[in-house]
Amino acid sequence: MAQFLLETVWLVPCYALIGGLLAVPWSPGLISKTGPRPAGYVNLIMTFLAFVHAATALQATWNHPPQEVFIPWLSTAGLNLTITLEISSVSVGAIAVVTGLNLLAQIYAIGYMEMDWGWGRFYSLLGLFEAGLCALALCNNLFFSYVILEVLTLGTYLLVGLWFSQPLVVTGARDAFLTKRVGDLFLLMGVLALWPLAGTWNYTELAEWATTAKVDPTAITLVGLALIAGPMGKCAQFPLHLWLDEAMEGPVPSTILRNSVVVASGAWVLIKLQPVLSLSPIISSAMVAIGAVTAIGASLIAIAQIDLKRCQSYSVSAYMGLVFIAVGTQQDEAALLLVLSNAIAAALLVMSIGGIIWNSITQDVTQLGGLWKRRPMSGLAFIVGTLGLIGFPPLGGFWALMELADGLWETHLWLVGVVITVNTLTAVSLTREFALVFGGKAKQMSERSPEVHWPMVLPMMILLGFTLHLPLVLQSLSLLPSWATLNKDVALLLIWSTLFGCSVTGVIYLGNVPKPIRLPWKGLQDLLAYDFYTPKLYRITIIFGVAQLSKLVDMIDRFVVDGIVNMVGLFSLLGGEGLKYSTTGQTQFYAFTVLLGVGILGGFLTWQYWGNVFLNLIF
Amino acid sequence: MQLHYFLLLAAALFCIGIYGLITSRNAVRVLMSIELLLNAVNLNLMAFSNFLDSTLIKGQVFTVFVITVAAAEAAVGLAIVLAIYRNRDTVDMEQFNLLKW
Repeated sequence: MAQFLLETVWLVPCYALIGGLLAVPWSPGLISKTGPRPAGYVNLIMTFLAFVHAATALQATWNHPPQEVFIPWLSTAGLNLTITLEISSVSVGAIAVVTGLNLLAQIYAIGYMEMDWGWGRFYSLLGLFEAGLCALALCNNLFFSYVILEVLTLGTYLLVGLWFSQPLVVTGARDAFLTKRVGDLFLLMGVLALWPLAGTWNYTELAEWATTAKVDPTAITLVGLALIAGPMGKCAQFPLHLWLDEAMEGPVPSTILRNSVVVASGAWVLIKLQPVLSLSPIISSAMVAIGAVTAIGASLIAIAQIDLKRCQSYSVSAYMGLVFIAVGTQQDEAALLLVLSNAIAAALLVMSIGGIIWNSITQDVTQLGGLWKRRPMSGLAFIVGTLGLIGFPPLGGFWALMELADGLWETHLWLVGVVITVNTLTAVSLTREFALVFGGKAKQMSERSPEVHWPMVLPMMILLGFTLHLPLVLQSLSLLPSWATLNKDVALLLIWSTLFGCSVTGVIYLGNVPKPIRLPWKGLQDLLAYDFYTPKLYRITIIFGVAQLSKLVDMIDRFVVDGIVNMVGLFSLLGGEGLKYSTTGQTQFYAFTVLLGVGILGGFLTWQYWGNVFLNLIF
Repeated sequence: MQLHYFLLLAAALFCIGIYGLITSRNAVRVLMSIELLLNAVNLNLMAFSNFLDSTLIKGQVFTVFVITVAAAEAAVGLAIVLAIYRNRDTVDMEQFNLLKW
């Protein structure tokens, strides 16, 4: 039975897709009598089915060699496009995580979207995302990974734009689509340029090719830079990070998925491409540089935000930056572990704050406070999510950061500093959020804030339990290093940085320091609060350039190209209008033109008899 | 006396006729210029008949026909002028430009 389920694990994305399609009929325009709720239930059932299938298959695949499934897609002259699926413990594990988190997010959404009519659209898009992410996890082919990434980009556009009557949602969805699209298009360039070099898009074959490849270093550097541009946009790395901030305009349940899994889709492709990317040291340095800058920049920005959801989104950018560092320094396992621990912890954090937002209405942390007594469950979830994200033993984030820092210890000591800094800053930002939301005195907006109802608490608690059990799961799968080989220095540094960040922030925000806290230099605070003025940067560089170029091209089209064609018509018109005056109505003029014509023709025909004599006479 | 003197004279007469035909404002003078043209043609025909075909003198026969037809044409022409004059009270050629663009 388990073996059968393993062999048919490619059905998991299909369940999700079917679930998404089944939700469509409950759009208000089609079935309005029953209300939109069946869409959610149907989707939930399909997701549950997918999760059970994936989890059973995961058991069967453990300690088994990876298998490949080939599905022919298209065969033309010189090109065979075959969908290659890899069924390994990693990929099946990934789809188990994706379907599991989706299941929880969908239960959560049943609570969160209670007062909403748009379930049909919402759940069908969640189904699309689940299907896309599962297909991406299984897909072992760069080309089809790209296809799925593009579908997911479209999905992001639609999902962020769910409540499209809000102007900020429309601009957010636009930016999310265009920014990710730019990255994806660079990725397409890389994908296409990789074909003549490697002759394959299969990740396994690419890895084999990369071990013995002899290619022009410039060429492979350019290809590699294009290949990391796609994940750069997907993972919201600098400078393509603004979309994640604006995507926080979407509904919270979709944010759960976005923060935990969707941004990780870029990282997944990046990890799969790591053998190719390690061909050139420049690509690796670029990845490390992008990752380091994003990790530090985004975690600094997260500290200076007042919007609860945006604090979270920048932490996600920062952790994806750490994944970039991990891939740039060829540490696939650390990267995967980071993605896993971040997915679970970030989802838990977003669930917790989503519950706060749901019945405190405001997202502004400066208007919240004193919720710990009334909202212990959400508070606990937030604490566990925080500890699971930052380096706090024995939870998952610690082991991920530990493995990453340990791998960097011998070769790139300064990057260990980056990891420690990011850990400290994230600890600071999350503790600040916790202190502002749950600590202190209750404010007007949080004066009467009851705990949310069961469909939102249940998934939160399940995920909380899973976050706590993650180390045990990892240990039972023998993914954790033993204490004997542990790099004690790194571990101590991580723990100290965590304790330092949490305690200092706790003292500042829970103590008697006057709030709101102002940095001595206001410019710096504003710089971080407005995320380095990225919208302005976009507007004065790329958007300005493209807009001016578009205007110029439009003018050229309007005046030059259209003008030339219109000029032909105009000249014909003017010619007719002007030449009609040759018909004067004077019979004598007609006689004159007839005689002139005859004279000229006669002169022309008889030129040979008298022409030369005539010319000699004149000259 | 040579053929080409006659021809040149006829050509000169033809040109004078053309000039009159194109520049006259009086419709009757236009008809008169046409008569000049026909007479120039007749001169040509007579000259050719005399110098090139003095036995069968076909040119003279042509000339007789041309004179006959010219008379008829002048009659019709004058009738047309009279008809226009009745309607428009003028024989000025520059007033007859109704059929333009």
